[in-house]
Amino acid sequence: MEQFNLSLGAHLLLWVFPLALIILVFVENHFDGPEGEPRQ
Amino acid sequence: MTPIDSSTMTTVAAVMVVYLGVLLFIGWRAARRTHGGEDFHLAGRSLGAWSAGISSTASSESGWVTLGAVGMTFAHGVSGLWYAPGCLLGYLVNVYVVAPRLRPLSADQGSVTLTDIITRRWGDPRNVLRVTATTIILVCMMGYVAAQMTAAGKAFSSSLGLEGRTGYLFGIIIGAVVITLVTSLGGFRAVAWTDLFQGLLVAAALIALPLYAVMRLGGFDALVQGLGSISPHLLTASGDRVGPILWGFVIGQLGIGLGYPGMPHVITRYMAARNDREVQRLQVIAMLWGVAVFYGAGVVGLVGRVMLPDLADGEQALMALALKLVHPVLAGLLLAAVISAILSTVSSQLLVAASAVSYDIVEETLGKARDDRRSLLLGRITVVVVGLIGVLVALTEVRLVFWFVLFAWSGLGAAFAPLILLALTKNAVNRHGALAAMLTGAGVTVIWNLGRDPVASAAAFGRSWWIALLAAAVIIIVGEVSKAFAPADRVAVVAAAGLIAMSWWLVQQWGLANVYELVPAFFLAGLAALVVSRITTSRD
Repeated sequence: MEQFNLSLGAHLLLWVFPLALIILVFVENHFDGPEGEPRQ
Repeated sequence: MTPIDSSTMTTVAAVMVVYLGVLLFIGWRAARRTHGGEDFHLAGRSLGAWSAGISSTASSESGWVTLGAVGMTFAHGVSGLWYAPGCLLGYLVNVYVVAPRLRPLSADQGSVTLTDIITRRWGDPRNVLRVTATTIILVCMMGYVAAQMTAAGKAFSSSLGLEGRTGYLFGIIIGAVVITLVTSLGGFRAVAWTDLFQGLLVAAALIALPLYAVMRLGGFDALVQGLGSISPHLLTASGDRVGPILWGFVIGQLGIGLGYPGMPHVITRYMAARNDREVQRLQVIAMLWGVAVFYGAGVVGLVGRVMLPDLADGEQALMALALKLVHPVLAGLLLAAVISAILSTVSSQLLVAASAVSYDIVEETLGKARDDRRSLLLGRITVVVVGLIGVLVALTEVRLVFWFVLFAWSGLGAAFAPLILLALTKNAVNRHGALAAMLTGAGVTVIWNLGRDPVASAAAFGRSWWIALLAAAVIIIVGEVSKAFAPADRVAVVAAAGLIAMSWWLVQQWGLANVYELVPAFFLAGLAALVVSRITTSRD
């Protein structure tokens, strides 16, 4: 039986992009500096 | 969909009733904390990160995320997922560029609506900007509200097992009554809280269902093999598109994200955040919600294509999978999630339309009802009136209004997104540039959209360039007669008409109609803002 695989672009679109985005969001949040007094 | 037995339908209907009861309860709780105009229009700037974050995202994604987005991957496989990076890039700009700047600016200005932000940022002595912005918002929002009510009516009638025209009418009325009541009583706070509840329901559904469905299918590899055996195109990022059609498609899908900074029902959530720390937390919450929902919807469509080979309409895949795979109570919750995606957008748009009338027109432009209690009462009455108009339009299916829905996302996005980004990041625009940007964005959107289907609308498209010039003449005459226009405003209107006519020429000569209209309209509006500001001064 023929085996099918995702193309490279499909890998990037389906899981590499969202994973990289989530990592970036957490990294940005982590290095955003200590939270000071909230500005009202 | 496959026929559903009556006991399943009864269980699903019972879950729906509980869901509507929760919405009404939240509305009642919010109403008890709503005491004045700023409370009603902006929840007294008291939202925490969760309600501001989820409310902003749930408001921006209407029924398309549980219906249309699912249908995209059902039809096109992995290549149908290009909407996800487009939308998520829009989220990135909104939460990292717009939100942290907009919240303090709006608090310093005392701004309540998007129109307020624009008019107070550049000054608006004769209400030219306020009337223009309010008109664009009202036209787009009323069409949107009516279309969403129609979608809610269809979803309710199918979930509750109501059949025929009577079932559809009943579905519209149930959805409209509940959401109008909740919005009218609790205003912005009720909308934000119900959005939080509904947004979490949507996210839970779009995380749990695809995971469970992939498991039932036999794992991710079984999904890949299943899709490949239907067509190998379903496993590529380009699908069966090649050349200019592929690039046009990708640019168009990525271009969806350009609209987010211009959505009044989305960015007012950032204005209502309690402080900067909540905005910082909101960034993570909104991005995670977006990734979960967009990719969850995409995977549901992919699984649906394999598991439901006989399903004629891919947009029904989520509902069909729910009824096929899980217990009726869970199926009821999943169907409630489909309706939640619609109602969370309706309530937000209803409030924006009502704020445009009661706050921007009656209070600010006409200078009436400035005391807090009268402002609250006026807001509540306006929500009911706007809701009623929405129901009437949905019931009578006025075609002209649904025609405007085609332009709603791109029209709002092009008219306001470049302007909001320029307002927050650069000091290179004056109020005449702002006027030119709004007119150009809205006008180019309409022209380009008409050009997309030149066979069906050849006559309308052919007439559109002189209609643009006629509209410009009418705007200038109204501006002159009402003595609202400064000389530089005339320059703004002429520049906008010129750019709109130029876009008509581009579509005609270069065959660019397949490019999603928001992309050219966004950049031409930004260009109009910068060029007109450069050649005029802010003095009258």
